Amino acid sequence: MRSLVFERNLPRFAASRIASTLGSGRGAAVGPLRLLDTEPPELPGPGWVRVSPLLSGICGSDLATLDGRSSRYFEHVVSFPFVPGHEVVGVLETGARVVIEPVLGCAARGIDPPCPACARGQLGNCERLAFGHLRPGLQTGYCADTGGGWSHAGLVAHESQLHAVPGTFLDEDAVVVEPVACATHAVCNAGLQGGETVAVVGAGTLGLAVVAAVSALSVAGHVGAPGALFVGARYPHQRRLAGELGASAALAPDQLGRAVRRKTGSLSMADPRPGRPGGPLTGGADVVFDCVGSADSIDQSLAVVRPRGRVVLVGMPGRIHVDLAPLWHREVRLLGAYAYGTERLASGATARTFDLAFEVVAAHGLGRLVSATYPIERFEEAVQHAGAAGRRGSVKVAFDLRHNEARHHGDLRHNEARHHGDLRHNEARHHGDGRDGDARHLARSTTSGRDGRSSTGGTS
Amino acid sequence: MKHARFPFRAPTWPAGLPRPAPERRVGLEYDHEWSRRYPVRLARAIVLDNVTRPAARLIAPATVRGAEHLRHVASPVIFAANHASHLDTPLLLTTLPVRFRHRTVVAAAADHFFDRRWKAAMWSFGVAAIPFERARVNRRSADVAAELLGSGWNLVIFPEGGRSPDGWAQPFRPASAAYLARRTGRPVVPVHVNGTRHVLPKGGERRLPRRSPVSVVFGTPLTPDEGEDVRRFAGRIETAVAVLADEVASDWWDARRRAARGGTPSLRGPETTGWRRSWALDPRPKAGPDPWPSI
Amino acid sequence: MTPRPGLVLEVDGSTPPTLFWHGERFVLEKLPEGSRVVYAPEPLVPLEDPVGAIRHALLHPLGDRDPLPAMLRPGMRLTVCFDDVSLPLPPMQAPDVRQLVMEQVLDMAAEAGVDDVVLVAALALHRRMTEAELRHALGDRIYEAFAPNGLLTQHDAEDPDNLVHLGTTDKGEDVEINKRAATSDLIVYVNINLVAMDGGHKSVATGLASYRSLRHHHNPKTMVHSRSFMDAPSSELHSSNWRMGRLIADSGVKVFQIETTLNTDTFPRQFGFLQRREWEWSVRDRAMYAAAAAALDRTPPRVARQVFHSIRAPHALVSVQAGEVEAVHAVTTANIWKQQGVEVDGQTDILTMGLPYISPYNVNSIMNPILVACLGLGYFFNLYRGQPLVRRGGVVILHHPTSWEFHPGHHPSYIDFFEEVLSDTTDPVEISKTYEESFATDPWYVHLYRTGHAYHGVHPFYMWYWCAHALDHLGRVIVVGGDPAAVRRMGFSPATRLADALEMASDVVGRSPSLTHLHTPPLLMADVR
Repeated sequence: MRSLVFERNLPRFAASRIASTLGSGRGAAVGPLRLLDTEPPELPGPGWVRVSPLLSGICGSDLATLDGRSSRYFEHVVSFPFVPGHEVVGVLETGARVVIEPVLGCAARGIDPPCPACARGQLGNCERLAFGHLRPGLQTGYCADTGGGWSHAGLVAHESQLHAVPGTFLDEDAVVVEPVACATHAVCNAGLQGGETVAVVGAGTLGLAVVAAVSALSVAGHVGAPGALFVGARYPHQRRLAGELGASAALAPDQLGRAVRRKTGSLSMADPRPGRPGGPLTGGADVVFDCVGSADSIDQSLAVVRPRGRVVLVGMPGRIHVDLAPLWHREVRLLGAYAYGTERLASGATARTFDLAFEVVAAHGLGRLVSATYPIERFEEAVQHAGAAGRRGSVKVAFDLRHNEARHHGDLRHNEARHHGDLRHNEARHHGDGRDGDARHLARSTTSGRDGRSSTGGTS
Repeated sequence: MKHARFPFRAPTWPAGLPRPAPERRVGLEYDHEWSRRYPVRLARAIVLDNVTRPAARLIAPATVRGAEHLRHVASPVIFAANHASHLDTPLLLTTLPVRFRHRTVVAAAADHFFDRRWKAAMWSFGVAAIPFERARVNRRSADVAAELLGSGWNLVIFPEGGRSPDGWAQPFRPASAAYLARRTGRPVVPVHVNGTRHVLPKGGERRLPRRSPVSVVFGTPLTPDEGEDVRRFAGRIETAVAVLADEVASDWWDARRRAARGGTPSLRGPETTGWRRSWALDPRPKAGPDPWPSI
Repeated sequence: MTPRPGLVLEVDGSTPPTLFWHGERFVLEKLPEGSRVVYAPEPLVPLEDPVGAIRHALLHPLGDRDPLPAMLRPGMRLTVCFDDVSLPLPPMQAPDVRQLVMEQVLDMAAEAGVDDVVLVAALALHRRMTEAELRHALGDRIYEAFAPNGLLTQHDAEDPDNLVHLGTTDKGEDVEINKRAATSDLIVYVNINLVAMDGGHKSVATGLASYRSLRHHHNPKTMVHSRSFMDAPSSELHSSNWRMGRLIADSGVKVFQIETTLNTDTFPRQFGFLQRREWEWSVRDRAMYAAAAAALDRTPPRVARQVFHSIRAPHALVSVQAGEVEAVHAVTTANIWKQQGVEVDGQTDILTMGLPYISPYNVNSIMNPILVACLGLGYFFNLYRGQPLVRRGGVVILHHPTSWEFHPGHHPSYIDFFEEVLSDTTDPVEISKTYEESFATDPWYVHLYRTGHAYHGVHPFYMWYWCAHALDHLGRVIVVGGDPAAVRRMGFSPATRLADALEMASDVVGRSPSLTHLHTPPLLMADVR
């Protein structure tokens, strides 16, 4: 069965690194990712089950890996060859739909007693990612033993990694649960107090998920409600979505600093001559979520955060060049925010990040972030699209693995009615966008959806 | 270079040994003898005539009057001028008759022009400056100046001791031209320089000169009278310069008549304070036609 | 040859195309037959001896005032105030009128032995002038005599130590003005009255006032009821200023008002075609037009802007009067009408105007979209007496590139106004209620206004209020050639060409509308019957 496999191949690494200078995702055709016929992975032990992916998203970290831009730090927590894809909604052999929580922590690795982090439920911080009976791999999708989402051969998952998908969820809703969980984790760890000014830099999937998480979790009372939530987004559709998801203002990146300055009544050290970049603020936002992870975005985050404020790195940075003088001088707390685990809420209760993420997705119907789906056979196009998602008016690009498999009819049947209503709704919304690229991909995704339904109808 | 070790880089001083203070070779201590050697004089003459002079003409086109007073004066002499701008020195040097120009030294404030070796070297070369104490008689600097006068060098000196802060002159100090004239017996030529403050004023934000016409007027040489004290003589020099200023403002005859009556306007401006003092200054001369077409 | 009065031309088949300004460019547009074009009167003949006329005015004041020398004595406090960089437009060729007048005033003060003299640039909430601008307006002699001693000051409406509250008018308006001026024995105010709005009691009551005082007349309500603010008797703005001015006079502040009017000789000889009627263009004019248009098409906007802002107008003094404020202003207004007045019969459905590169608030700066709106709908729309040139519910078509571009040093609060306020609402009343306070008190704007060269935080609001009368009156505003995003942000409609704009206008005013083009600059005032 066809799978996308990422191999250790130095000439191809180099080729993709060079090709990606033309634009993110451009290296896919020459890079180390190849479409191969593979066997389904072996079950590593008791407690493991097979999962057949339905949709599997393309994440920013996947793109970085394909482009060869990923930090070498990850070398020791990855094993080759691996099948990428950690944003996965799939079905079990029982027919139940699940979302995978991809971190391969102590439970999955058969390590008992677990490491201190896993013992606390902080799965993302697991200290045994390269040990135990699995080969190294920080997540499903980076481990040679588990398979990954970009595959018709399916993957194996430990039962501790499974989260049942409510029947009301579309597959599109379910596939964004994993990135939303990352955002939820970041929001829960930012220590939001009520009434704070919050800025979000970047409005790709993660940025929009952070906006959704902040508004949904604060409405639910899990975190303090911000006094203002500003989003700096490059593209108009991102600004429109950010506004719909609860941003008090969604602005072009160069406007973000000014809006924060106005809101917080701080001064600025901008050069008053025309054509000069805006300078850092004297005060600023209490919390800044950097959802890009580039040198520019971190610079901007440090320029708009108040002294002693928090900058939360949600986007994955690599080896970059950043001036840390403002961090030192303003005593800014720079927080990493990776993956998920267990969160402590404002009420003092604890909750699993994924459970919160399901709430956030449900509250905002975040399935709409999936702008386009591709069959894995068209992975070059898919990866290029994902690399240029913002420019092409898209947010999340995913692989659609449904049309090829007729194994899970029973499960799809009860979704049918919902598909009818919601997809129409979905369609209208996307058409409103008025973008050719979007409409084309949407057409494809709806067609595949209908295919799925008709085949289901035929067998029942 | 970063990793060069001792024999290939300068030694560091042992921390246990006290480091002596450096020998002070700037300010009044500066040794400027080199600047009067023949090759240096030749080089200076070339620069003065071919660079400084055209440059001065360009930014400050000068009207020179009274050079005829110098025709029969035996060198060396002391030129005593009012002082409003850094431009005064090059302007004066380049307008002196050739007979004097290349055998003249300039008394320059030791604290301003000789505080660093490179500055000292620059001024010594460019205008043959010698360090001079501004306010009082300093034995060393006066000795040097007297010695140079004795060996045939002319001297340019600004008896105010510094540039004017507000455009009006400051009192002429006795410790400069008057004292040296008394000591060496050489005549003092009063010189009035007008308009340089419009080109390059003291202080202010403007660092670049602004083109404006200027004038230089030489007066008849003065020598101290028998028994005249230095202070009185300094006053007489100041009055002589004031008469030259009056001559520029009106005409020679009116200026003479006012001088005879003792009615020459003071170089130091009106007695009032504040804006009226500045208001009484002469305005910037009308600029010539704009060299650029106005669009 | 005596200068000819203004003209209303009816476009017919043999009328050449009409010149439209378009920011840092100009274009020729063929107007539909039957359209009217309003041309300004030709520049009046200048005074032969301006300095003599100024001295004469100072020695023979109007109204209840002694000649200036008689009011000057040693030991008195004298404050000389002058209009800022927003006047005249474009800046005039040296010597500026302010320099000529103030040199005479100061000579008289020096003769009288007045020691305590301070010069104040009457900025109100405008940006501070730069050294070069002050030197241009006052001349080097005044600048060098006063600036180094700190006696050349610029009014600071945010300096609590230098403001004094003189009281409230019977309508409850606070009168708070510059303390140095208010505590002087005599204020001499040197005006350049470029348009009929300038001068009178507005000089001191606005030019030297604080925000607390200005907000009583710079607000949407007043502006909607100023019809127009170029015509003082029908202007609520002026009524308020007159009440304040009388209160200032009653509280013992003595003002010696000097008002000057200039002719409308606006462009240097090379650009003479810009103020000549198209059918009278000589070969030279046509060549200059063709050359300039071709050159500007190939010039980057930034360079073109620099070229245009270096234009110095050959404005010449045509009248000067001094004395008591109201007596002086009556004569001045009459003189301005003599230069600028044009009689126009009846209103029109569509009013078109080509907006130039300059407005009062972007001298040596960038004309941002808000200033475009203000110049078109604030200034040009209000150049009328009687009734507006365009009928109620009519359409105004502006010709201007309206690029989304701001000068961050001069107009910092404009940027936020445009991004934050106008994206929310364009209704002046709503804007003033929701946002004005927070912009007026923003410490960053206050800082830039006081120490940099920035307009006050509240200034973009005033620009928008300036448009309030037009926004209230018009059915639609169309901007030809404007940046669509910027134009829409202000609630206007962008059009690519004039023909498209006329087509769009027909939705509002019907298929066969009447059209009038305001051929300005040079400035004119329409007396609409």
